[in-house]
Amino acid sequence: MKDLKLVSIAGLIALLSTLFLAPILTSFTVHAADKAERNTVATLRDHTEIDSQKEPNPIPKVINNDIKKARNYPMQPPVIPHTIRSYEVNKYNNKCMSCHSRHRTEKSQAPMVSVTHFMNRDGNFLAEISPRRYFCNQCHVTQLDAEPLVENTFIDMHSLMKQKTANTTEH
Amino acid sequence: MKSLLLIGWRTLTKPSGYYSLGALVIGGFIAGIIFWGGFNTALEVTNTEAFCISCHEMENNVYEELKTTIHFTNRSGVRATCPDCHVPHNWTSKIARKMQASKEVWGTIFGTINTREKFLVHRRRLAENEWRRLKANDSLECRNCHNFDYMDFTAQSERAAYQHSTALASGEKTCIDCHKGIAHKLPDMKGVEGW
Amino acid sequence: MSINRREFIKANAVAAAAAVAGVSVPAIASNLITSSDITKLKWDKAPCRFCGTGCSVNVGVMDGKVVATHGDIKSPVNKGLNCVKGYFLSKIMYGKDRLTTPLLRMTNGKYDKEGEFTPISWDQAFDIMAEKAKETLKKSGPTAVGMFGSGQWTVQEGYAAVKLYKAGFRSNNIDPNARHCMASAVGGFMRTFGIDEPMGCYDDLEAADAFVLWGSNMAEMHPILWTRLTDRRLSAPHVKVAVLSTFEHRSFDLADNGMIFTPQTDLAILNYIAHYIISTGRVNKDFVNKHTNFRLGETDIGYGLRPEHPLEQKAKNNGKSKGSSTPIDFDEYAKFVSTYTVEYTSKLSGVPEHKLEALAELYADPKIKVTSFWTMGFNQHTRGVWANNLVYNIHLLTGKISTPGNSPFSLTGQPSACGTAREVGTFSHRLPADMVVTNPKHRAIAEKIWDLPEGTIPAKPGYHAVLQNRMLKDGKLNFYWVQCNNNMQAAANINEEAYPGYRNPKNFIVVSDPYPTVTAQAADLILPTAMWVEKEGVYGNAERRTQSWYQMVEAPTGAKSDLWQLVEFSKRFAIEDVWPEELIAKKPEVRGKTLYDVLFQNPSVAKFSLDEIPDERLNDESRDFGFYIQKGLFEEYASFGRGHAHDLAPYDRYHKERGLRWPVVNGKETKWRFKEGSDPYVKPGSGWDFYGHKDGRAIIFALPYEPPAESPDEEYDLWLSTGRVLEHWHSGSMTQRVPELYKAMPDALVYMHPDDAKSRGMRRGDLVKLISRRGEVQTRVETRGRNKPPVGLVYMPWFDASRLVNKVTLDATDPLSKQTDYKKCAIKIVKV
Repeated sequence: MKDLKLVSIAGLIALLSTLFLAPILTSFTVHAADKAERNTVATLRDHTEIDSQKEPNPIPKVINNDIKKARNYPMQPPVIPHTIRSYEVNKYNNKCMSCHSRHRTEKSQAPMVSVTHFMNRDGNFLAEISPRRYFCNQCHVTQLDAEPLVENTFIDMHSLMKQKTANTTEH
Repeated sequence: MKSLLLIGWRTLTKPSGYYSLGALVIGGFIAGIIFWGGFNTALEVTNTEAFCISCHEMENNVYEELKTTIHFTNRSGVRATCPDCHVPHNWTSKIARKMQASKEVWGTIFGTINTREKFLVHRRRLAENEWRRLKANDSLECRNCHNFDYMDFTAQSERAAYQHSTALASGEKTCIDCHKGIAHKLPDMKGVEGW
Repeated sequence: MSINRREFIKANAVAAAAAVAGVSVPAIASNLITSSDITKLKWDKAPCRFCGTGCSVNVGVMDGKVVATHGDIKSPVNKGLNCVKGYFLSKIMYGKDRLTTPLLRMTNGKYDKEGEFTPISWDQAFDIMAEKAKETLKKSGPTAVGMFGSGQWTVQEGYAAVKLYKAGFRSNNIDPNARHCMASAVGGFMRTFGIDEPMGCYDDLEAADAFVLWGSNMAEMHPILWTRLTDRRLSAPHVKVAVLSTFEHRSFDLADNGMIFTPQTDLAILNYIAHYIISTGRVNKDFVNKHTNFRLGETDIGYGLRPEHPLEQKAKNNGKSKGSSTPIDFDEYAKFVSTYTVEYTSKLSGVPEHKLEALAELYADPKIKVTSFWTMGFNQHTRGVWANNLVYNIHLLTGKISTPGNSPFSLTGQPSACGTAREVGTFSHRLPADMVVTNPKHRAIAEKIWDLPEGTIPAKPGYHAVLQNRMLKDGKLNFYWVQCNNNMQAAANINEEAYPGYRNPKNFIVVSDPYPTVTAQAADLILPTAMWVEKEGVYGNAERRTQSWYQMVEAPTGAKSDLWQLVEFSKRFAIEDVWPEELIAKKPEVRGKTLYDVLFQNPSVAKFSLDEIPDERLNDESRDFGFYIQKGLFEEYASFGRGHAHDLAPYDRYHKERGLRWPVVNGKETKWRFKEGSDPYVKPGSGWDFYGHKDGRAIIFALPYEPPAESPDEEYDLWLSTGRVLEHWHSGSMTQRVPELYKAMPDALVYMHPDDAKSRGMRRGDLVKLISRRGEVQTRVETRGRNKPPVGLVYMPWFDASRLVNKVTLDATDPLSKQTDYKKCAIKIVKV
């Protein structure tokens, strides 16, 4: 309890001192200030000293809700919204294609692999998936139920465009 | 030679002159119990996983592959051993399967699949045997544990619930139609329906 | 596409009203934006920021932000493809914890080694850095200052760093993290061929009939090359793939012949193949007679540990020579490898005889064009240079080299391990274009190009990567600058060497990074750094392809590129601060000048004016220094290699091309080196010419199997191998900040055989401790992941900053290349 108080006082002091330097500072220090005073920079280590270790989290579960996630931009491969445990993709078999190939999608109602997957290295269309795209798991990955350690401030182009259209309509 | 055989046959078929009927019946009964018990015990021994994986073909191929699958390790710890899926529970089918197994003994002795490569060569045929058997008995060994009547669709993923409540419910499909390669790796699936 | 309900109703109402009125609605009233001046993205090409494959990506920019990236359809490397990391490139710069101000450990407003990180200005940062560097130079001389750089530096950054250290500070204590990655490959090339880098190129992937992966897990580590290999294997059914590793991994999914061998026995397998080729009479005698020599290498060379280590005490030839060898003839060589029979090799390696024979036949059969790939399995090996030499032996014995599909191919891990670390020569013993500091002629060439007085560059090699950490710990290296790498996570045995070294009160540690890494956490001063397309640069990939890119977006305010940092820092030193009077006396005109004037703001580097940069193009460094610095540095650097089989094209051309493979002679790139017809440096009529050696011959080395530094025993009963994963790149400092990649592979688990887990009373998910003689790390057990180790070996990746597996690893190195063996040490695992 006493430690906690010390920490929060230190945090306050840090916060106050940063105010004076505000022009050259950004979110980082503000973000750091609300963490423990020591190792404010150890963001991926949850502020743990190098010579110690935080207890590892349990292995998270694979998200298996079949809900599509929006892509960050159109050219991005979608993430896999279901488990793929024991799905074989090897030189004999491709389990993914038993639902996602063109001729299986009517039965499976799964999304068909994109048309780019039928193109060979030279950009010509083949009658089947190009072998260069054979190993689905090189681009498509499942998502585990884990909370990212650090927020990402990437801005979707759609938000930028919306801002701009908002500006133009105001004119 | 011929006469010798004839004498032996006559001895066996001649009514007993020394033992009472009762003794014979009781003796026969006891002998029967011993024989039948022995047979069944022996049969049961061959129905254990330990027996199945006592030959390296099974241990290094199919059993090794089984270890990482959901039929080996899972949430509740209910696991399938080799005979749970591969030996029918009812007696006639079991004996029929055991007679087929003599071919496997032959295979072991002559090393038909004594390397991984050889095993892989035969894998499609071996898998097809099992698919055919399970298709024919409506996936009986699956259903010994996975009873359709007690499936909670709300606890299943959306896709699974949909398929089970339609294709499986109507009898259009049986378990093995979709769930191939769930406990072992698949063979080359070229030409298999749904692949 | 998100539109809220109110907007939706409004849009529909407008559309309905418009329809009634019979007028067309402007595009912006609909929920789809179509106006081209709003949807337009500015696209430009850049090499991918991650591995050594060197894919080209198109980067889409809108309003000063990278909003999209996709595989460059025009690039011969990847033809429009990316791996999962590449597809998420646009998010790597936007982790919320980007550093934007220098941070110094301070107490009460003053620098204090034990103080807290406190924001300071760049001026203050350079003040304290210069103070510490000068103090160190004065007190202990140039050998007490050092730098740890990177195969992720741009060519220009690496080159500026080499100049600053080797010429400016007169210290050879500069080494790149490529030491952990490529040093054994370099050693192998220099020893066998006398010139660095692969003779073949990626075009081999479409030409080979067989591929052999030596330890490499291309499916995860070089995914785009794997797509090309897969394409070849699946579209040409006669093609065979052999995969060798100490554990089963994703590349086995395509293997026709998958082999698990006991760690270190790859050396024996390589010799067995040579023996097989000889004993089945398939030596290409004509080739061998004309183009090779045979030599017997020195053995028992130690394990690159500290000299007092018992293993080093025991080794006969430890540190006494640098891999010397004596000439032998073919018969002696044949006799040497004849002990590696299939029976012996199979027993030693655990690989069944028929598999070894099938593998050897791929090489022996003259009709099969075979390409060998390797990366860290060979290079991170206490006999890494040997392993490289031995694989060349096989290709040389059969003449399967330098022709399409016949290729011993060393892959690289970093985007510019070749371009920057190797070609520029940022190693402690090297200079640009394969030259070395120990050679007086080479030093003279460098001093001439750099316009320095004779004797400026020291002749003694500096501290290499592993030695740097040891010297930090021993207090002999006191001013240390780390740029563009994360060595507190990447170095082996951080518990006993790196961490005590960084925190040694005698030392001042500066770390430049875009993000607060584990290394930054161990530093005294952190410098916020611009990354990737926030600056202009050049990278060189594994097939000798040099690629450039422009600055496309501004770095976050406060962050500066490594190049700017190096050059700006040089302004803080008067020549008199760093050079002795007798050196200055040889070139009195430098008197009163700064290192910046002598090294950078000079007629050679500063000759390209800002006029060459269009107004609308970003280039923060050039505008700051007042000349086109990236071009100036590149052109000066290129003058080292032009005419010496390392020719680079003029700088401007790279901005127009999807890269070119050096040597670029008469405007034409070179696909296969050493072969007449495809390499302009080959003497006409010779067929093949290994011109790296004076007699034009490559060397076949007789080298034995020797055991690893540490093997499992009764107490430490498991092998530990470490490595990478598909979803994260190296230490994860970029990819762990991309939510999708983080969620795909959040934590480093220890991959174990289910039987190993069971025999220790463990199961999947159990919290365990990996313990070695050096340290311990906690993680969770994975028994059914993508990696399937055999009984007796476990695998743990090192990308996870919160689970530092390098607390456990052994800092044994190849004594020839000084590269660490991260693939084998002995540990035990206990439940927590």
